[in-house]
Amino acid sequence: MLVVRDLRVTFSRDGKSGVRAVDGVSFELARGGALGVIGETGAGKTTLARALLGLHPPECVQGSVRLDGRELAGLSEEEWRAVRWRRIALVVQSVGTALDPVYRVGEQIGEPMRFHLGLSPAEAWARAEELARRVGLEPRHLCAYPHQLSGGEKQRALLAMALGCNPEVLVLDEPTSGQDMLSRVRLLDLLADLRRERGTALLVVSHDLGAVARLTEEVAVLYAGKLVEVGPTEAVFGDPRHPYTWGLLHSYPDMDTARDLRSIRGLPPDPAHPPAGCRFHPRCTQAVEKCRHEEPPLVEVAGRQVACHLGGLQTLLRAESLRKVFFVDNGGPRSPLEAVRGVSLEIREGEVVALVGETGSGKTTLGRMLVGLLSPDGGRVVLEGRDLTAAQGEKWRWLSRRVQLIPQDPFDAVSPRMTVDQVVREPLDIQKVGAPPEREEKVRQVLKAVGLPTDPVFLSLHAHELSGGQLQRVVIARALVLEPKLLIADEPVAMLDPSEQARVMNLLKEIQVERGLAMLLISHDLALVRKVADRILVMHQGRIVEEGPGSRVVTRPIHEHTRALLESAPRIGVFTAEDAEETEF
Amino acid sequence: MRRLPAEMAFGLGILALFGAVALLAPVVAPYDPHAFSGQPLERPSRAHPLGTNDVGHDILSELLYGARVSLTVALAAGAGTVLLGTLVGGAAGYAGGWVDRVLMRLVDGMMSLPRLPLIILLIAFLGAGLPQTILVIALLFWPTTARVIRAQVQSVRTRGYVRMARLFGGGPAYVFLRHILPAIGTLVAHGLVVSAGTAVAIEAGLAFLGLGDPTAKSWGLMVRFALNLPGLFLTDRWLWWALPPALCITLLVLALTFLGIGLERRLNPRLNRRWQ
Amino acid sequence: MNRVFQGFVGRVFSYLFSLWVILTLNFLLPRLMPGDPLAALLDPASSDYVFDPEVRAALEAYYGLDRPLLEQYARYLVGIFTGDLGRSIRLSRPVGELVASRLPWTLLLVGTALLLSSALALVAGTEAGWRRGSRTDRALVAVHLLLANVPVYLTGMLFIHLFGARLGWLPMAGGRTPFARYETLLAAALDIGRHLVLPALTLTLGMLGVKFLLVRNTMVTVLGEDFMLVARAKGLPEGRLKWGHGLRNAVLPFVAHLAAHAGMAITGAVFIETLFNYPGMGRLIFESVTARDYPVIQGVFLVVSAVVLTANLAADLLNARLDPRVLEG
Ligand code: SF4
Repeated sequence: MLVVRDLRVTFSRDGKSGVRAVDGVSFELARGGALGVIGETGAGKTTLARALLGLHPPECVQGSVRLDGRELAGLSEEEWRAVRWRRIALVVQSVGTALDPVYRVGEQIGEPMRFHLGLSPAEAWARAEELARRVGLEPRHLCAYPHQLSGGEKQRALLAMALGCNPEVLVLDEPTSGQDMLSRVRLLDLLADLRRERGTALLVVSHDLGAVARLTEEVAVLYAGKLVEVGPTEAVFGDPRHPYTWGLLHSYPDMDTARDLRSIRGLPPDPAHPPAGCRFHPRCTQAVEKCRHEEPPLVEVAGRQVACHLGGLQTLLRAESLRKVFFVDNGGPRSPLEAVRGVSLEIREGEVVALVGETGSGKTTLGRMLVGLLSPDGGRVVLEGRDLTAAQGEKWRWLSRRVQLIPQDPFDAVSPRMTVDQVVREPLDIQKVGAPPEREEKVRQVLKAVGLPTDPVFLSLHAHELSGGQLQRVVIARALVLEPKLLIADEPVAMLDPSEQARVMNLLKEIQVERGLAMLLISHDLALVRKVADRILVMHQGRIVEEGPGSRVVTRPIHEHTRALLESAPRIGVFTAEDAEETEF
Repeated sequence: MRRLPAEMAFGLGILALFGAVALLAPVVAPYDPHAFSGQPLERPSRAHPLGTNDVGHDILSELLYGARVSLTVALAAGAGTVLLGTLVGGAAGYAGGWVDRVLMRLVDGMMSLPRLPLIILLIAFLGAGLPQTILVIALLFWPTTARVIRAQVQSVRTRGYVRMARLFGGGPAYVFLRHILPAIGTLVAHGLVVSAGTAVAIEAGLAFLGLGDPTAKSWGLMVRFALNLPGLFLTDRWLWWALPPALCITLLVLALTFLGIGLERRLNPRLNRRWQ
Repeated sequence: MNRVFQGFVGRVFSYLFSLWVILTLNFLLPRLMPGDPLAALLDPASSDYVFDPEVRAALEAYYGLDRPLLEQYARYLVGIFTGDLGRSIRLSRPVGELVASRLPWTLLLVGTALLLSSALALVAGTEAGWRRGSRTDRALVAVHLLLANVPVYLTGMLFIHLFGARLGWLPMAGGRTPFARYETLLAAALDIGRHLVLPALTLTLGMLGVKFLLVRNTMVTVLGEDFMLVARAKGLPEGRLKWGHGLRNAVLPFVAHLAAHAGMAITGAVFIETLFNYPGMGRLIFESVTARDYPVIQGVFLVVSAVVLTANLAADLLNARLDPRVLEG
């Protein structure tokens, strides 16, 4: 019914350089359908919403907006009047200031009916009362002036006002902003009910992913004025394909209250100077040269449309039915011990995956196979599309530049005879990267990144002169110096005292976001990893027994072994009230 | 350096012109304005470009010297007004509490008084003279500035960095000098310019009403003398006698207004934005 | 409703307080001034000495300077409330009578100009604000900026010259034709009307600039409000947007400023009446100042202050009616 094609909204500053707030957006909204538009503040959501009612100066808007085949773009203000509110109505975001302070609320709800439907003031008032009752307001609210209503009441009044002329499309701009949890839930219920009763199509523009998930079947993700992913809400939220969608879903606190906020690195671009090529490339962890110059078009990927040169989020590392058998020599005949029994897993770009299991579950063995320190007895490891089974020579050197390991025991991992400088520089020396001064510079950089001093005195210290935390940081720095894409951290903080544990964990998380790394975190401690992991794999007796989003695994474990693990985990602050309130997708 | 906005340039230009005239009056004026340099009521001529007044003073010279009076009043009364306003507004905004309430009550009360009749009453009893004029203007017009300054001080005072400065042990004097004064600098300049404009208009008005300094030949006084001539408007004499000083007053007030508008733009960049 | 009533009572009290301040100021000023201007009136050695013994006696009785200050104050207040404002030195008439004969003229002049300038400013300001940034808007702003800064006596002089002296269309001075005897009420009204045109026009222009700029700028602010966006999204007709929502809100600050504008109008009237020789209070001030007729100056001050304060209160109450947010705080 509503078809938007290549919509562009450009605001000029002093008639000069244009700010393109909405850039080539296309979508369709079926009669009675519901579409969500999500994106960060400043992505152009509100501009888009207003463009659908022709509220921008006509010279700012290009492209096509069709309603039942009739072109709306380019209508005169007079012609727009007939469309506004009768066919497309809007509930604005700024609830507090959206009502005229000098008129009674009831008059304002009735006003469009008087002008569009020709009702008398009394008739309009009567209709307003009906609508008000429907949205949960009482007659006394209608006699009040806006300043006498609470925020939630105003929101309802605006909704009643929007329904007055029974529009076919209702545009909701951030309908849940500024509302407390309870009224938010009630409002969403009300909106869903209204939609069912009246068959009104909804366009929900919001950064409240929960609201969008609750109200819509289709969702479009807006980044810097462009759509980057469009598809069925369930598919997009359940399995995001564009790196930005993925990051957005994972940085959203409502979606995952159990984990600390994970942000996408960097900041959204200044709308006046958007980056060339793919607008997301400065923040994208998998950007390639092409992304810098060429804009990716929306193409069909896995049942939705994604604008990405690489077809969406890349799988960095894939393991296919890995097996490892050890032969244990305990006096008698050598008995086979199956440490890893056919494990498959995937790690995507920029993702933190936690592999959780008890001692002896095979998780360390698996980790070593993934970095190539141990060759599997069956299956294979594919990194960025290259099979690494029995990698040697050039391939091995390439592998060690892409994947690095942070072992559990830093004292074991660092030669007691080498200075800090030598330890961190070793990989560069081995790989013969750059000239010596460059190497020195790199060493200094990574040390700074992990929060260590770079003065000559510190650089000449030996392992035994450092604390556990410092030494682990040196190890992390060494892992970073080759700029890998994937870090495999095997119990990286197990040897540290608790306060140091938290600090190093935070540091790892920070580095992971900032450098756009993927990370496989191997640990026995569910309570620890839930704070940072996007996905959790639970390993038991050489197999993966449970896999899912971090929050889900922690709050609603399926496998009994996971439950056992959870019960043994330290309880402090693990289950809070928020967990129960969590929104599910 | 940013380009000077047009209204600022206009205001500053006119001000500079009047300033130069006031400073150089003895050099550029053809006669002593108090000297009988011609016959009474001469029409404009080469010797007297704007003719002479009813007692034979050269009108052009009067006009040029008049700039001194107007600018003196503008500067002194403007400064006095702003000084009082800043002190009271700053104290009210900074101290808050009952000090604020008492001072603001006073401001409200003063703002509701009819000013001109009060000025006339005060001058009538104080006696006419430039110092009195300046004093009365400053005494009656500070509340406007005080209000603006108070609002700004209040908002700055509650900012984090001021609270932090206090936390670090900065005393009231330090906070005021280091944080509050810079925040109200432009506002004070704006207040000065606006009050100066008001002062010029009031002084001229008082002189016009016969409440000006009879010895300081101001533009307002010139208009008054001209109007005293019976049947002034029946001939075109008013064109070179009453009109030029009235125009000068207008121009000076206008220049100060424009300067004020320019400063206001700087204070509130939102005014520059074109509405969509 | 109770809160509204309380707010109302509060306002009235604050105005009564202001009135008291003015009364007291009027009492104290002449008595505290250096040089004792009142005593000079009764001192034969002073240049201000009043020669007319009858007037001197009246002055003495009115000011009663030989009595204790408090008693003077009490007598003064009683006098005010019984309409006794003292006696003019110059005209040897009671000040109350003088003021009463002059007040209607000023009210006529100021009232006409206030109404006219308000109506013009509201219409022009709304239109200019609606078309903000357009050429019409810019031209209107420029003109009114100029108007707001031109002293009224300059405009007045131009009018006198042009319409009075050059074209001879309208009388140049006075409130009515001297010594005229009117046959009918209409003739009287016409004559007074003809005399009113130029002064009223001058005063209207004198106030128009400030009022226009106020309406226009408020209008621009109002148009940027969210509720205007909503009103537009509702598809309301332009007239409803512009007047029903735009001006309806922009009129609030305008009303709030009415009292200040009344004060301004009186200031303007003083100059205009002087210039046009119009028989109102302004002219009376001018004459009394020239003659150092203190009782009259004081009387005029009192009456004008009372008028301005009443205007203040009226504007406040009107504003409370127009804006549901006022009074409830
Ligand atoms: S891979 Fe390239 S095209 Fe795809 S999102 Fe990243 S930067 Fe954009």
